[in-house]
Amino acid sequence: MGNPYLEMRGVSKRFPGVQALTSVSFEAYAGEAVALIGANGAGKSTLMNVLGGNLQSDEGEILIGGQAVSINSPLAATANGIAFVHQEMAMLPTMTVAENIHISSFPTRAGIIDRKAMEASTAEVLTRLGCHFTPDTRIQVLSTGDRQMVEIARALLSKPSIIIFDEPTSSLTSREKARLFDVIRTLKTEGVTIIYITHFLDEIFNICERATVLRGGSTVGGGLLSELTTADIVHMMIGDVGLDTRSAKHSTQQREVVLKVTGLNRRGVIKDISFSLHKGEVLGLWGLLGSGRTEVARAIIGLDPIDDGQIEINTGSGLHPIRPREAQRWIGMVTEDRRNEGLLLPMSVKQNMSIANLRGLLSRWKLIDNRRETELATHFVNRLNIIISSLGQPVKTLSGGNQQKVVVGRWLELNPPIFIMDEPTRGLDVGAKAEIRRIIFELAEGGAAVLVISSEIEEMMALGERYLVMNRGQIVNELPGTSTKNELMGAAAGAAQME
Amino acid sequence: MTTVQGSSVDNAGSLLTRLRQFVTAHRFFDILPILILVVVLVVLALFIPNFFNSRNIVNVFVQASTLGLMAIGMTVVMISGGIDLSIPSVMALSAIFGAMHLRDGGSIFVSCLIMLTVGIIAGSINGFAVAYLKMIPFVVTLAMMTIASGAAIWVTNSVSVPVFDEVFFDLILARIADIPRPIIIMVIMALIATLVVRRTLFGRWLYAVGVNVRAARASGVPTNLVIFLTYVISGAFAGLTAIILSARLGSASANMGNDGVVLDIVSSAVVGGVSIYGGIGSPLGAVMGAIFITVISNSMNMMQISFFTGLIIKGVVIIAFVAFDSLRKQ
Ligand SMILES: Nc1ncnc2c1ncn2[C@@H]1O[C@H](COP(=O)(O)OP(=O)(O)OP(=O)(O)O)[C@@H](O)[C@H]1O
Ligand SMILES: [Mg+2]
Repeated sequence: MGNPYLEMRGVSKRFPGVQALTSVSFEAYAGEAVALIGANGAGKSTLMNVLGGNLQSDEGEILIGGQAVSINSPLAATANGIAFVHQEMAMLPTMTVAENIHISSFPTRAGIIDRKAMEASTAEVLTRLGCHFTPDTRIQVLSTGDRQMVEIARALLSKPSIIIFDEPTSSLTSREKARLFDVIRTLKTEGVTIIYITHFLDEIFNICERATVLRGGSTVGGGLLSELTTADIVHMMIGDVGLDTRSAKHSTQQREVVLKVTGLNRRGVIKDISFSLHKGEVLGLWGLLGSGRTEVARAIIGLDPIDDGQIEINTGSGLHPIRPREAQRWIGMVTEDRRNEGLLLPMSVKQNMSIANLRGLLSRWKLIDNRRETELATHFVNRLNIIISSLGQPVKTLSGGNQQKVVVGRWLELNPPIFIMDEPTRGLDVGAKAEIRRIIFELAEGGAAVLVISSEIEEMMALGERYLVMNRGQIVNELPGTSTKNELMGAAAGAAQME
Repeated sequence: MTTVQGSSVDNAGSLLTRLRQFVTAHRFFDILPILILVVVLVVLALFIPNFFNSRNIVNVFVQASTLGLMAIGMTVVMISGGIDLSIPSVMALSAIFGAMHLRDGGSIFVSCLIMLTVGIIAGSINGFAVAYLKMIPFVVTLAMMTIASGAAIWVTNSVSVPVFDEVFFDLILARIADIPRPIIIMVIMALIATLVVRRTLFGRWLYAVGVNVRAARASGVPTNLVIFLTYVISGAFAGLTAIILSARLGSASANMGNDGVVLDIVSSAVVGGVSIYGGIGSPLGAVMGAIFITVISNSMNMMQISFFTGLIIKGVVIIAFVAFDSLRKQ
């Protein structure tokens, strides 16, 4: 196969309190896609940040086409033909798609930004990616999936020879995903090297040729995917842990209603939403991306205003109507967008874990009890196996998956009677996903009511005792927990066709 | 040509990045303002022999106390990500109403109550407009500043209201163990405010709101209430300052809250490590900043540097600290 096009040799990187990478070696050939695999916090993003010039390694060298190169900034990475599609998107929401895509290199004519050229080149990449929005659309009106496509478009623009994808599909619809894979296949035939990070192992068998597995900051294995199985890879990633994916669903029986929603409306967003959630139940809110699932959840806990409708909660003595702003006293919601609407990024892990539960941490003098705060945070950090160097570590320096665990842990710490989980396992590795599922069952067994929203059908199937199917802001169907994958897919898609 | 350009951009970029990393990685920078204060004090001791004479020091601290109290109020607002430009003019207006009551034969207790109440009312209006009507803090408090100073001139006809009440002077200015009460009040308030922001429910919510209001809201923080309260608190501190300053000056006038004061307050906060971006800072730091600013003004007086040169020097100091703040923010 000749010499690798990209070689990283003996790369080490230390952060205060943690050795993130220990002499990692990584190679990739021209025209192939290499999967970079590893558990949360294994060092995948760190390794790619070194390649992308966002971080300087303490040791190690990088060779491209056999030549040693020094990549000390993102600009230097671009100059070396490297493009990076980041795990956490950073975009300017009030600027247009074209402006965001060109942000680091505006085309100019006589010193003035050449709008025409900018929009033309943007339109070209967007067509290539099969996007339906125009270059002059503002980022803020785009869905998360569309934003992800913009991020990918930005990477393609510089005509790179190496493209890094860090969990690109976590917020894409299946159609967008298919389009992305087509683009990746074309890129490969053009000789571009693809580095692909994901926690969805089925994806890598679909589009990658080889895999490299990281564990605890070291390379622990890899090889041709044609010679490996999912089990081999999971074994390399996390060792021998039983991944209990069998569902432990309850039987649906008559149980107390804890949340009753009647006729919830928000013009143009959700329409006539009515349903009941029972004690000890895991209810799946299913539908395609953009069908209004998240919007229903947000309306219930008062994050978005509603035009009319009633929300009743069983506060201990039967159902009582409550105002949406009060709902958060009984409902904990894991929000979908952890960076903008979940975490307090510069604040510590401990403070992020306790922020929802502060009332429960007050001492006699109405002061926050430091010792209890530390105890509880420690407990849930261990329970969720969150990898941190200390409880005082700023959350923004955690790996993506570990940040997600902090959001989940925050609500476990509050322990409300009702949970809403919007994409609770986004960015988690296979082991952690299984663990979160186990926790959800435990919560339900303990009497909590859980409303789960997930784009992953397997996750939905494993969790739901009952499903509400949504389309265009309405609940169009209800299915039992015994529904098959095809029935669920059919219900969501069929509902879409009915329109 | 392109490569040359590219690499020069690179170098500048990575130099800045490195500077940033250095600043964020070293805790040492958290105490930088105090360090600078020490250096300045040493320099002053060398160049102005009278500076460390105990009367002058006490004098500086008394001057700093009113600035410090207003800076505490400002800090609370700034941590939540807002700003209150109306503090000095609201302070002046409160002082005027209180002084008029005293002049007309009212009781000291009621006068003080009036001053606090006027501050709290103005703060509530600011808070309501910002928190519930979602108006921009800068604009709201700028308007309040204009209204309060307009009202102050209107009710006084630009004449200062004298405060001649020995009991009042005694009550506010007397010394305890040789330390004038304003200094003690400032220190106690700084300690209480620091305890509140560090260890109470409100304090934790305050930082959360300043760091990311949407995330705070999604975590169950009553963000509007928190923002509202920050302005009520800064109004209350304006009222408290009015009590002390009117006793110290023996009068109340519209001029008490002139334009220079708001600059001094913001400078105190920023020099004391409060971030103009919200989410960072402590009242104790702001009080240190107030002392620092007062020392600079005072020493420039003693060195007979002109008022206008003084302004330039202050401006440069502030820009330096704001630049430092934005480096740290990254
Ligand atoms: N700026 C930083 N400061 C301190 N520690 C850091 C920093 N960036 C990353 N780390 C630590 O380095 C380790 C590796 O993180 P990295 O983001 O590379 O993991 P990852 O493999 O991408 O995980 P995930 O699948 O969760 O995204 C983690 O323990 C993380 O906390
Ligand atoms: Mg990562």
